[in-house]
Amino acid sequence: MSTITIALPSKGRIKEDTATVFERAGLAISAVGNDRSYRGRIEGIEGVEIAYLSASEIARELASGAVDFGVTGEDLVREGMAGADGRVEFCARLGFGQADVVVAVPEIWLDVETMADLGDVAADFRARHGRRLQIATKYWRLTQQFFSSQHGIQLYRIVESLGATEGAPAAGQADIIVDITSTGSTLRANHLKILSDGVILKSEACLVRARNPGHEEDPRIARIVEAVRAAL
Amino acid sequence: MPLIDMPDFSADLLAEFAARRTERVNTPVIQPAEPFLDMAGEDLRRRIFLTESETGANLCLRPEFTIPVCLRHIETATGTPKRYSYLGEVFRQRREGSHEFYQAGIEDLGDKDIASSDARAIGDATGILKALLPGKKLSLTLGDQAVFEAVVKALGLPFGWQRRLIHAFGDMEHLEALLERLARPQPVTGLDPEIAELIASDNEADLVTRIDRTMQETGYSTNASRSPTEIARRLKEKLELAETRLDGTALLLLREFLTLQLPLADAPAALAGFADAADLKLGPAVSRFDARLAALANAGADLSAMTYRAAFGRPLDYYTGLVFEVTEAGSPAVLAGGGRFDRLLTLLGAKEHIPAVGFSLWLDRIETARATR
Repeated sequence: MSTITIALPSKGRIKEDTATVFERAGLAISAVGNDRSYRGRIEGIEGVEIAYLSASEIARELASGAVDFGVTGEDLVREGMAGADGRVEFCARLGFGQADVVVAVPEIWLDVETMADLGDVAADFRARHGRRLQIATKYWRLTQQFFSSQHGIQLYRIVESLGATEGAPAAGQADIIVDITSTGSTLRANHLKILSDGVILKSEACLVRARNPGHEEDPRIARIVEAVRAAL
Repeated sequence: MPLIDMPDFSADLLAEFAARRTERVNTPVIQPAEPFLDMAGEDLRRRIFLTESETGANLCLRPEFTIPVCLRHIETATGTPKRYSYLGEVFRQRREGSHEFYQAGIEDLGDKDIASSDARAIGDATGILKALLPGKKLSLTLGDQAVFEAVVKALGLPFGWQRRLIHAFGDMEHLEALLERLARPQPVTGLDPEIAELIASDNEADLVTRIDRTMQETGYSTNASRSPTEIARRLKEKLELAETRLDGTALLLLREFLTLQLPLADAPAALAGFADAADLKLGPAVSRFDARLAALANAGADLSAMTYRAAFGRPLDYYTGLVFEVTEAGSPAVLAGGGRFDRLLTLLGAKEHIPAVGFSLWLDRIETARATR
């Protein structure tokens, strides 16, 4: 019997919330070694290992199939791999870690309320400014899919932003942003507004299964999924 | 350049290029990535091989030849007209087929006779393919953005709407969404009453001042991105455009135009008939279309193998007129693709306007076609 690996967030609120859900699901986790260990196991099911990783590492390990399950944000999973639904299954939405990936523009852009408005602005941006419209984001893939496939907007450039993205327009590093927000207060504090049709993804923490071979025949897989679903 | 893995017909191809009086140029395989991303957009990022130099510059493996050949032309400043040819490897991430494959082609820069240089590009592409694929039946599809531009202009749409439609030309889904908006205009709601008042009274100066003040107060630079004037003017234009409704007849006409697909030789009569029936004046765009056709006929092109498809275009802002694709009859594989890109050289930094037309040949697909005799 092969080992099933479940990757869980290693720190913060999301770690605690995950532990609560697993406990309610009857999948009590015990640490291997001391309390600060990054390994654990599930009591009562043989051959199930817990690996504590950072949320973005979990998305990566799911993409490569190195782990069987992971709990992480849908945004990180969809950003981290092409064709996510073919490679992983979103088994359960866990009801915490809610945040939206959104397109936000300066509030003072009084003429821009929709993606269509943004399309107009992007279309002649170069003629006016000698450069393309710049978007600060860490979500390259989600931005490209949303802008080109869903809204036919091709002409823009992404400026990579690894932190404090919402400050980029005021700082002159980019014109607009694509970022994650839960309450919108940081956006408002930076005088940014979300476009009316600018929600790219409503994300939350999910139990995600890598579509690894052997899962179908393994009763432990179904048991874990059903236990977590029943606990919600 | 290693010659061992080049397609076995490379020598024939180079001989064709020489006979067609082109100057063969080569460009480095490793290219700065910025011009490609700037011209084709971020979508290209997923389809090219990117890397970074030690100093942090974005570099990529050459994904195509047109941009490098044009950049080289601008740098060497050798004047126009010029006929360049190229043959070499290009690198792209593709779902099917190899990531590295050979392309060859001709770029014709600076010929001011649009009709004859268009016809020559088509003649070169089909002539070379015929020589490489003896006995194969080829079929060519041709589109012309200038005709579409003339149609939307003749319909009397405001300039902003013309620009939207022209920008979407070649992307049928996007175009359909725009037509839908023209059929069912949605008034702009939720505007701050004070702003609405300033616009209604046509008080641009006060509106600009107000936007300027807010930007200063909220810590936004008024010149790093969109300026107060730009925002004010577009807001006004947006309110006007939101009220534009295209009546049912005009929408039907536009849709009817976009479905036109017929033998190229019949296209002038069809376009004239369409213009007559719709009572639209298409003017110079159609006469240039006819002139190109006459140039093709003069050059002895086989018009019977050519189809005009009115909706055929490329939704990139540097394509301006002719686009064409050549396939083997009955096969979807594009063997040659080309078009006119009069705006590209100035976008890349050329000081003067340089009209340009060219095409590239997909040598891997040509090789496959040669193998299936």
